[in-house]
Amino acid sequence: MNVSRRTSLVMLAGVALVLASTLLFLYLSSRSEQTATYAESRNLIRQIMQQNAQWESEILKARVAISHNYDPLVSPLIEMTKLWRTFDSLESQNRLNQSSIWRDTLDAYLIAMKEKTRAVELFKSRNAVLRNSLAFLPTAEDDIQANLARMADADKLQVQNIVTDIYDLLLSSMEFTQVTSTDRAADILVGLNKLQVDKERLPPELHEPIDILSNHIALILREQPKVNSLLDEIDVIPIAERLDDITNMLNRDQQQAEAIDRKYHLFLLLFSALLVLILIWLAIHLIRSFAEINRMNQALVAANDELERRVEERTRQLKDTQGKLLDTARRAGMAEIATNVLHNVGNVLNSVNISADLVSRKLRNSKAQGLGKAMQLINQRQQDLGSFLTEDEKGKLLPGYLNQLVEAIDHEQQGMAEELTQLSKSVDHIKDIVATQQSYAGVNSLLEPLSISELLEDALRMNLGALTRHNVTVLKEYADVPLIMGDKHRLLLILINLISNAKYALSNVSNHERILTLGATIVDGQTLQISVRDEGEGISPQDMTRIFAHGFTTRKEGHGFGLHSCALAAIEMNGHLNAYSDGPGKGALFVLQIPLIAAEGEPCPSP
Amino acid sequence: MSPLALFVSVGLLLTAGAEAAPLEGPFKPLPAVPMLNSKRVELGRQLFNDPRLSVNNSLSCASCHHLNLGGSDNKPLSSGFDGKPLQINTPSVFNASLNFRQFWDGRVATLEEQIHSVVQSPTEMGSDWSTVVQRIASDPAYRTAFADAYPDAVTEANIQNALADYERTLLSTNSRFDQYLAGNTEILTLEEKYGYQRFQEYGCIACHQGVNIGGNMFQKFGVFGDYFKTRGNPTEADQGRFNVTGEEEDRNVFKVPSLRNVAVTAPYFHDGSEQTLEGAVAVMFKYQLGRTPSKKDNELLVKFLKTLTGEWEGKPL
Repeated sequence: MNVSRRTSLVMLAGVALVLASTLLFLYLSSRSEQTATYAESRNLIRQIMQQNAQWESEILKARVAISHNYDPLVSPLIEMTKLWRTFDSLESQNRLNQSSIWRDTLDAYLIAMKEKTRAVELFKSRNAVLRNSLAFLPTAEDDIQANLARMADADKLQVQNIVTDIYDLLLSSMEFTQVTSTDRAADILVGLNKLQVDKERLPPELHEPIDILSNHIALILREQPKVNSLLDEIDVIPIAERLDDITNMLNRDQQQAEAIDRKYHLFLLLFSALLVLILIWLAIHLIRSFAEINRMNQALVAANDELERRVEERTRQLKDTQGKLLDTARRAGMAEIATNVLHNVGNVLNSVNISADLVSRKLRNSKAQGLGKAMQLINQRQQDLGSFLTEDEKGKLLPGYLNQLVEAIDHEQQGMAEELTQLSKSVDHIKDIVATQQSYAGVNSLLEPLSISELLEDALRMNLGALTRHNVTVLKEYADVPLIMGDKHRLLLILINLISNAKYALSNVSNHERILTLGATIVDGQTLQISVRDEGEGISPQDMTRIFAHGFTTRKEGHGFGLHSCALAAIEMNGHLNAYSDGPGKGALFVLQIPLIAAEGEPCPSP
Repeated sequence: MSPLALFVSVGLLLTAGAEAAPLEGPFKPLPAVPMLNSKRVELGRQLFNDPRLSVNNSLSCASCHHLNLGGSDNKPLSSGFDGKPLQINTPSVFNASLNFRQFWDGRVATLEEQIHSVVQSPTEMGSDWSTVVQRIASDPAYRTAFADAYPDAVTEANIQNALADYERTLLSTNSRFDQYLAGNTEILTLEEKYGYQRFQEYGCIACHQGVNIGGNMFQKFGVFGDYFKTRGNPTEADQGRFNVTGEEEDRNVFKVPSLRNVAVTAPYFHDGSEQTLEGAVAVMFKYQLGRTPSKKDNELLVKFLKTLTGEWEGKPL
């Protein structure tokens, strides 16, 4: 496709080039100069014809002796020669006179011109002397007359005859110049002969004038026919015709040239049209290409828009997904929180359960039942109550019993009140846990003055039942820690979890005492460190890495939330929770470190 | 005379002077010197005086055409490059451009052809054009001047053209007769005017007329009577135009010479046979006009002919 298009383009360019060069050739061939040359040539010929006409008119003038100046008979020839030279150079420049017919036509003119020039020259010479002699005749006659008049002794009649002869001769000569005929020539010859005869009769001094006259008349007789024949000759020399021939040749040539020109013009038109067609084709091609490009552009734009739209959609989808993910995460978080809450609540509920169990057990075994039996006895002896109390054996024991019962009930009540206080505390804790979780998203933490030892005691107490059940001995290594500002519930949450975990770790220990060590100390004066150590089952190194991960647990009934939430809570308090273990069966140590913020009014602990 | 009349008469005089119209007639005054390329004319002047145009560097144009001798020399026959006399009398170079043809026999029409002919003539300059062109071209001064004046520098045609252009400037201006023709009728004496009148009456103007007072036609030498028979010793040159055309009627036919400067261009005729103007006039009367003038008329005619002498470079020839 590409190659064929390139080939076609090259071919097109080639065709256009060929057309253009043809056009150039045609243009150069059909120059309008040619027409101008023809016009100029024709003009030159016309001027030569004019000069020729002028020449002939001057010849006529010279013939009738209007002018004695022969310059006007020279200048047309000079002009014609000059014009011809121009014409000739023009023609040879255009190489139009190469054909033999042209050469012949031009030569014919030149030959005619040569003939005419010669005839005119001869005419000039002969006409000059002829006109001179003619002009002289009256003077010559006068001379003779004067001489004759001077002859006093002459024979009058003879003189008269001579005079008449001279007159006749003169007249014949004049007539001869007008009508040149052989008759008149014969008359003149007769007259001349008569004059010669007359001359012999006259005195010698008259001989010269008569000879002069005779000579001049003889000259007229000789020259007049020659001048006439020269004029006839000049008349028939076909200069004008030859010039017409040349003009015709020029016209013919021009017509031919114009025919060729027309042909060239036709070709010019044709090739121009072809060129224009090619150009139009190219233009259409170009427009099409542009349209194609436009279309492609639009398609690209559309594709781009589509892509953008899709990207947007994807982005939106991603956002949605993110939102969903966030939702899911939130829900998961909420579930976690719920699990956490339930877990913590569950831990506390253990205490509640234990307390409630204890109270109910105490109530079941309450000494108050003894009071009922005592009242039964009293009611049986209502009439003799006094005597009964004083006389009857059993009755006499009754007040003592009642006293003992009062004491026992009092003791019982005190125990139950204690247990109920504990229960109430646990419920409060549950309430706090719930409240804490409800305010999870809001306030990060609520700092309040805390006593670490009290906090630890509370945590222990909440696990007391389980610890007691599992026979765990709690060692307390509390350093002197002042009141601190802390998040009671987070701390409590962590401690309860850690204690609970330690308890579980110790639950399978049977080969030695189950000891849980709680520690609280200040590190570097800035950090509060709380540690929970057990001598339990320990943690394997592979578990160590994921011990704080969400959902990680080693217990069958575990959720994997405890330590995860503890670690989170530690981080939320700007602290951290670390686990240490030397391996399975070697116990574990959990250390919570949080920034130490002394409560107001408390002395800052020295490091 | 009243002041008004004086004023009117002075005005009339002035008007008459201003309107001194040229006289109509068979004669025309000498035209003004043509305006030609001055570089070419100057080259022509140098060439005109340059003997390198002749084969043995002996002759220049000016050797025969002395500008201070009426444009010719004072010999019946000039000498060629080899010192031998030529066959025909040297015509004047002055006003030659006004002649309708060149040479006595009118064998060429232009000055260029005349120059061409003379340089190559085996009796005159005896040279050939390649030699002339080579000699001229080897002269650095010429080379520069030609390159300046002509696009194609030193060529045969350019040498001829330069010489011809120079000769076209050789017009003997301001003759008294020209002044007369120009309207200054007071310039000629009464006798000269009579001479002029005789010139016309006797028919001299039949041949000697026009701008060059001759030089515009051919004429047979010996219309009345055989001049050559009388003179004797006929030469080839005596055949005149017959030598050119071979036509019998051209035998003894010559170009009618110009009569301008005729008083200073003796000797006369193609053979230089006549030393004086009076004698020449007499020959003309006898053989051309077939008449016998009075002695007085001959004198008058000679007086008139002397008014035809023009000036060159402000000085009378």
